[in-house]
Amino acid sequence: MRFLRLLGVFTRIGIQSDLAYRANFVFQMLESTMNLVSALAVVALVFSQTDSLAGWRAEELGALVGVYFLVLGVLNLVVAPSLQRFMEQVQDGTLDFVLTKPADAQLLVSLSQVRIWKIVDVLFGLAVLLVALARLSAEVGAGEAAAFGLALVTGASIVYSLWLFLSTLAFWFIRVENILMIFWNLYWAARWPVGIYPGWLRWTLTLIVPVAFAVTVPAQAIAGRLGEATLVGSVALALGTLAFSRWFWNRGLRRYSGASA
Amino acid sequence: MSDPAIRVRGLAKTYQVPVRGAGLREALRSLVRRETRPVEAVRSIDFDVAPGEVVGFLGPNGAGKTTSLKMLSGLLHPSGGEARVLGYEPFRRDNDFLRRITLVMGQRNQLVWDIPVIDSFDRNRAIYELPAERYRRALDELTELLELGDLLPKPVRNLSLGERMKCEVAVSLLHAPDVLFLDEPTIGLDVTMQRRIREFLREHNRRTGASILLTSHYMADIEALCPRVVVIHHGRILFDGPRADLVARFSTDKTLIVDVADPEADLSAYGTLVAKDGGRSTLRVAKQDTPEVTSRILADQSVLDLTVEDPSIEDVIDRVFQDAAAPEASPSESSG
Repeated sequence: MRFLRLLGVFTRIGIQSDLAYRANFVFQMLESTMNLVSALAVVALVFSQTDSLAGWRAEELGALVGVYFLVLGVLNLVVAPSLQRFMEQVQDGTLDFVLTKPADAQLLVSLSQVRIWKIVDVLFGLAVLLVALARLSAEVGAGEAAAFGLALVTGASIVYSLWLFLSTLAFWFIRVENILMIFWNLYWAARWPVGIYPGWLRWTLTLIVPVAFAVTVPAQAIAGRLGEATLVGSVALALGTLAFSRWFWNRGLRRYSGASA
Repeated sequence: MSDPAIRVRGLAKTYQVPVRGAGLREALRSLVRRETRPVEAVRSIDFDVAPGEVVGFLGPNGAGKTTSLKMLSGLLHPSGGEARVLGYEPFRRDNDFLRRITLVMGQRNQLVWDIPVIDSFDRNRAIYELPAERYRRALDELTELLELGDLLPKPVRNLSLGERMKCEVAVSLLHAPDVLFLDEPTIGLDVTMQRRIREFLREHNRRTGASILLTSHYMADIEALCPRVVVIHHGRILFDGPRADLVARFSTDKTLIVDVADPEADLSAYGTLVAKDGGRSTLRVAKQDTPEVTSRILADQSVLDLTVEDPSIEDVIDRVFQDAAAPEASPSESSG
């Protein structure tokens, strides 16, 4: 498949280019370790005072922290650096090289950069998730596992769509890096289940910057506390946002080439 | 005669450019209400490029050269007229079309900065889905012609500008395109490297029969590569024809260099004296007077040597652009 072959080549190039800066691996390990330790320490602190937080038990919240790091890692591995590069390319004009390639431009800009050291977050996330799952093992059946996988894919699709949408704004406004900072600040909030937040923030995290679907929903799935309706809704939302961001991207391209003017 | 590789009819592009007065107040006002004004970058141009032909696209900065190249390579949507490249409408950016063209921009690069050149090549191999055998053959040929052997394993950031440009040209040609759009491919390079790139392009054109549309500020590029030139200014075509005709049409003077035996001889009566060095005088003479003036000098003076020269193509181009202030000077208007 085209997508996988391109991803394979870009990954290999990403590994080679990151190997040129080996010190970054050490810094990444440090950064990821500090983030993970502080995240787990806060969870441990909370559960030293109580047995449940908004209905979540310690192991379940551990799983959520795992999902948080997993999704963070995947975003930083490909989506964030690629779309960051895309925005630079709009500014410096090298996007022209992408648009004269015989491949889907959205695919190319979404995969172009692979920051391989970010795999550390993915691995840490997986490790924490597995430990949490081992403690929950009796309760995780095939159904939960399948729902978890599906929720993870839909959550990632929703977040990707949002990123693509925000990056596409570069076609109109040229400099949009600041918009992405809003995303990161809200993603930080996804380290906790959205249920603990007051209504307005919960709605923001669900509907406006839907990080809830990327982190809370998959964690709910693995904890067996995800209703079918939420899962179906999540899939529908993922398909909708993918289609919308694709449409918006194409509009942006038309704008770039002056076809809409 | 076969169909043209590039066919352009009435092609036009108008940009909407934001206008804003100076100062903070104006900047704030433009936040709320953005005013734009249309700028006609290209105004109805016509030309054809035959398969295998190398055409030089000349014009001062802002003449519409790059806009035209971008329309032909599918990056910009024309606001009027029609362009066909290899039978395709470029702005549809059909994959079959993009596989057969390439774009080289001397000011920008597509090689990945931190990795060896060969890996950037590999990246394009994957994007163009080149079969292994075909890629190998193209790579070997380009490596030989451009002497890339030592450069391929080096990271791009360690290359000199000239080396990088050689690699940029090579990576753009791996997929053996039929039409090459080259936007100032030799800009900023030293004379030796410019010649190197030029020789390569000529050889590549001879071997592959690909059409080339080339813009450059270096007349040496044009003289070495382009039997035909298209001159564009203020978005209009001023001249389209053989390079030699450009000089013939737009030069009004010739230069006479006369050596006479007597170092004191004064030749200023025959034309405008440009320089005098002992017995050697350099005169500028109106083109139509040249035969008559030459024979008068030969009759009146004891001439040791006499040469008649056309002005350099640079001088001619300079004159074309100065004359072009009046739009009715455009000889291509009638063909639209």
